[in-house]
Amino acid sequence: MSIVSLAKIEKSNFKKAIEDSLNLLGYSFDRKIREVVIKPNMCYYWDYSTGQTTDPKFVAALIDILREKTSVSNIALVESDASAMKCKYAFKFLGYEKLFKDSGVRLVNLSEEKSEDVTVTCDGESYDFQVPQIIKNADLRINLPKIKYAMKGIELTCALKNIYGCNPYPLKFKYHPQLGNVIVSLNKVMKFDLCIIDSNIVSGIQPCKLGLVMASKDPVAIDVASAKIAGLNPRKIKYLKLANREGLGSLDFIPKGESLNQFRAVYPKKNLKKKLMSQAYTWVVRLKLAKRLGIG
Amino acid sequence: MKEVRTVKLGIIGLGYIGQIHLRNCLKIPNAEVLAVADVSTKALKKAKKDGVKKTFNSYSELLKDSEVEAVIIGLPTHLHLQCSREAAEAGKDIFLEKPMGRNVEEAKEIILAVQRNSVKLMMGYPMRFNEKFGVVKEKIEKGLIGDVESAHATYISTGPFFHRAEGYAPVPVPDWWFNKELTGGGVLVDMGSHIINLMRWYFGEITDIKGLFGHRFNMDFEDSAMCLAKFDSGTVALINVGWFSQGYTCRLDFFGSVKSESAQHSPQNKLVAGIQMLTTGKMQFYQGHFDELRYFLNCIINDLPPSSSGQDGLKDLEAISLAYKNQISLQ
Repeated sequence: MSIVSLAKIEKSNFKKAIEDSLNLLGYSFDRKIREVVIKPNMCYYWDYSTGQTTDPKFVAALIDILREKTSVSNIALVESDASAMKCKYAFKFLGYEKLFKDSGVRLVNLSEEKSEDVTVTCDGESYDFQVPQIIKNADLRINLPKIKYAMKGIELTCALKNIYGCNPYPLKFKYHPQLGNVIVSLNKVMKFDLCIIDSNIVSGIQPCKLGLVMASKDPVAIDVASAKIAGLNPRKIKYLKLANREGLGSLDFIPKGESLNQFRAVYPKKNLKKKLMSQAYTWVVRLKLAKRLGIG
Repeated sequence: MKEVRTVKLGIIGLGYIGQIHLRNCLKIPNAEVLAVADVSTKALKKAKKDGVKKTFNSYSELLKDSEVEAVIIGLPTHLHLQCSREAAEAGKDIFLEKPMGRNVEEAKEIILAVQRNSVKLMMGYPMRFNEKFGVVKEKIEKGLIGDVESAHATYISTGPFFHRAEGYAPVPVPDWWFNKELTGGGVLVDMGSHIINLMRWYFGEITDIKGLFGHRFNMDFEDSAMCLAKFDSGTVALINVGWFSQGYTCRLDFFGSVKSESAQHSPQNKLVAGIQMLTTGKMQFYQGHFDELRYFLNCIINDLPPSSSGQDGLKDLEAISLAYKNQISLQ
């Protein structure tokens, strides 16, 4: 069974909380690593205060630790263009460009990087993707997701879903009809070594300060733990079960550190009103009412 | 019964605001949207489906159509001058979205073109048609608030980054929004022009203005601005505009020697808005946009000079330009 660690962020000290979470996990960096890829979560141009995206200060704290504990020479923060988001603006608007100016950290738009064609089988289906060389060649890949609710059928976006953003193809909405399978497939071709979740501020149904860092080497286990914090039943999230079947990780986990329940109690969970609104939206789409409602 | 004359319109630009104008025009009895122009084939197809007879992928082609009497221009700011000039030369009356241009010089050129060709020009400032804001104006004019010593005008939202509502996917922002050369400025030009125009409507011309600018999103221009402006009437207004919030606030607070008065333009409850759209085809939130077009058509039919005029658009840009020049900073 995989370990998921939970550490509190005290007085906005990200560095200490990340170190605590790694110690609880029993994780130590290999001193010899040179090339590191870090995948923060960027979503449109919403900044960290919305709980939608990884706080650049959190990323900076992790980089400080990496530089202290390894002989890393190349650090790349990676993201790709998406249907509604362009990397060049996201890095700038969300504060990455300013924070990492003259720091030697590269901000990489995967949509503009060299990639290799890869075919992967998942759930009996075959999928074709491009895998960026920078990810393939890295000594260490670190995933920095956020815990968020997602569209119906997916329910949760966290560690596994964050790797969706490593797909260099920009018009990602084409994958939406089979999103769960695509997420799992991408994780099969781009395996990350470590997941550290910035849950200082979480989005939920409204942004809220949770003050939590979670870490695990298992993306499925950390997603299962995250689902529990968000008040979701992980057993009902199909793509987590698929990821488990495809050998990406365990549906069970051993929590270490702070109690998960205290964070579950605070997380801004979906209430009946929100569930009804979500259902109403589904019907608006199904009945093609968007245009008549002036939202199409 | 007197027959209502119909004005044959062309809509140039079918982006966010162009779509609102098209939807509204289709509901106005004395408007006939004869033609639309846009570079997006998808937008043109949609307009055709909505009953627009002629579609063009170039506004110059639309302007050659002699049947079109007046045009609504909802293009990116950097295209306002060129398009307005061509429209004036083609003899079309013009409804032009704010801001009038990227700078004072462009606004002056538009006014010259309009004067040279004796066409009408109305600037799109829907807040002047907001019912609640109109009530406040009436109260000021009747002396019910007394001398308005100070005013706070706040207009804060997501700006171009709008996230329409919960449940909807984010909408891509066109690149021109982030290019200072194409916009002429940031939030003060975009949203500040609305508020400056509105304050001038209440309190007269601006005699002095200073601005404090914020850059939360590290853009090449401001994404928040707080301006202190003094008006002819003696009123000092704090104009607070920003693109930084997921929330929407459009609020006026006036502090008079008799009493204080506030007014707010708020998004409606989604359910109510949905029912309104289904039953009447329009939303209360966009009533100002609807009424300004009805007024514009009325000006054409009755040969009246529209307000807000080109001079208004120019004065708003002059105030914005002065605020940029009189920048203050806080440590």
